[in-house]
Amino acid sequence: MFVGLTEVAGGFRKIFMRGIGRLGEMVWAQWDELRHAAAVIGTVLYVCARPRYWVRTVRRAFVRQVVAIGVESVGLVCGVAVFVGITVVVQLVFWIGEAGQSQMLGPLLVAVVARELSPVLISIVVIVRSGSAMATELGIMKIGGRVHVLEAQGISPFIYLVTPRVLAAAVSTFCLTIVFILVAFLSGYLFGATVGKGSRDLLLLADTVSRAVRPKDVLAILSKSTLPALFAGASCCIGGLGVGGSLTEVPQATQRALVRSVAGLFVISTVVSLLTYIG
Amino acid sequence: MMNESTDILRFYDVTIAADHRHESGIPAFNLSLAPGDLTVVLWEKEEVGIPLADAAEGLVAPVRGTVTFLGEDWQTMTADRAAAQRGKIGRVFEGESWLSDLNVDQDITLAQRHHTRRPVKEIEQEATQLCRVFGLAGLPRGRPSNARWQDLQKAACVRAFLGAPILILLENPTAGIYADVIAPLINTVRDARERGAAVLWTTNELQVWNNPELHATARWRMLGSPMRVIEEAKEATG
Repeated sequence: MFVGLTEVAGGFRKIFMRGIGRLGEMVWAQWDELRHAAAVIGTVLYVCARPRYWVRTVRRAFVRQVVAIGVESVGLVCGVAVFVGITVVVQLVFWIGEAGQSQMLGPLLVAVVARELSPVLISIVVIVRSGSAMATELGIMKIGGRVHVLEAQGISPFIYLVTPRVLAAAVSTFCLTIVFILVAFLSGYLFGATVGKGSRDLLLLADTVSRAVRPKDVLAILSKSTLPALFAGASCCIGGLGVGGSLTEVPQATQRALVRSVAGLFVISTVVSLLTYIG
Repeated sequence: MMNESTDILRFYDVTIAADHRHESGIPAFNLSLAPGDLTVVLWEKEEVGIPLADAAEGLVAPVRGTVTFLGEDWQTMTADRAAAQRGKIGRVFEGESWLSDLNVDQDITLAQRHHTRRPVKEIEQEATQLCRVFGLAGLPRGRPSNARWQDLQKAACVRAFLGAPILILLENPTAGIYADVIAPLINTVRDARERGAAVLWTTNELQVWNNPELHATARWRMLGSPMRVIEEAKEATG
């Protein structure tokens, strides 16, 4: 009986230790991937600060990526912004009016829509729409030997493929966030004015919002839109270029890159929000 | 053969291992290419890719020996330096080599646009001339997926010779289009050699190997498993 209990306890200890070991492996793996992404982002920022790397082919690749990630997403972003304007902005304007707290309208709109909601929504749009395309495209290029062909022509895949994509993701996400905020406010105002549930004076609304914007809000919007995008761009490039020799690895690599990007988005957004509130 | 210091490319006691891209390695061999040299290498296994061109460009590190380009060991160059040096090399790649997000003309001119400040118009004019030499109507403008594979193979030759590279690596350039391309290819190789370029031509087609018009300075054969290197013929630089 006593021996049996000892064996059971020993068995549990083994399972527990194995579980701890797996957890440790996962944490180390995540830590490695985070370090890898940080190294890629650091190198991209270093490269983009050196004019000699901005040769015409790289400039052109950057423009192509801005068009693909940013310009081609404007319609989708405007559509989402209209829905957010109709639901969130109108609700806020209406309920704050009902509560008689109209002096809170500006700060609330800035905090909820501009600072918190917009960067996260736009980052998700960019990750889902462009991040997956980025990882898949690079994975197929790697397996098809096209990355090797670039290297053989003396064109660094990091300079020509990774840098424009990561930078374009950050620039596009920031610009799309601004478009989103403007369209959400405008559509919220138009809908509210049409159904008679909010301010009818556009200039007053604009004045209220602009007065509520503080420098740290601008900084928060900038960092919450660019940092997750840099991380997502780096993760998707690492995922795509990290595939081995089989096409079947591409969907798995894309999936992992997207999961990492979304997780990174929420972690970075939370940290920036906390820093903004503490500040 | 010219002096060692003037060699464009030199393999010194090099052994290359097989890797995920190349099913066969190459055991210890010495090879040097001086300006004006043409070495033709015949390998007799059609299905096996050899890492010779990759090693010549420093993309595959030899397990033993050194590969130098213009007197510099690839392994001691910085990444930027190696990239700049590879910009002086033209190459016809074995297999598919076209970027899907670029048009064929953009792909042909990519390396020149990347490494030089030549006006795009001037690069395109040179590319158009070469296209006509290789039997294309002009510079192909569409996506590679919409082009005929024969035209892509000719366009690959255009890309390899564009910008007067100092070293030209031809990996089976006549595959599938021997009759169409052999004459212009021999002429273009001769012109390149006359201006001082060196050419390393690998092939698995006997008709290329036996072509008397090539006037190669050296002929090599790679056969067996693992591959053995046999130097078949050597003549003075023409």
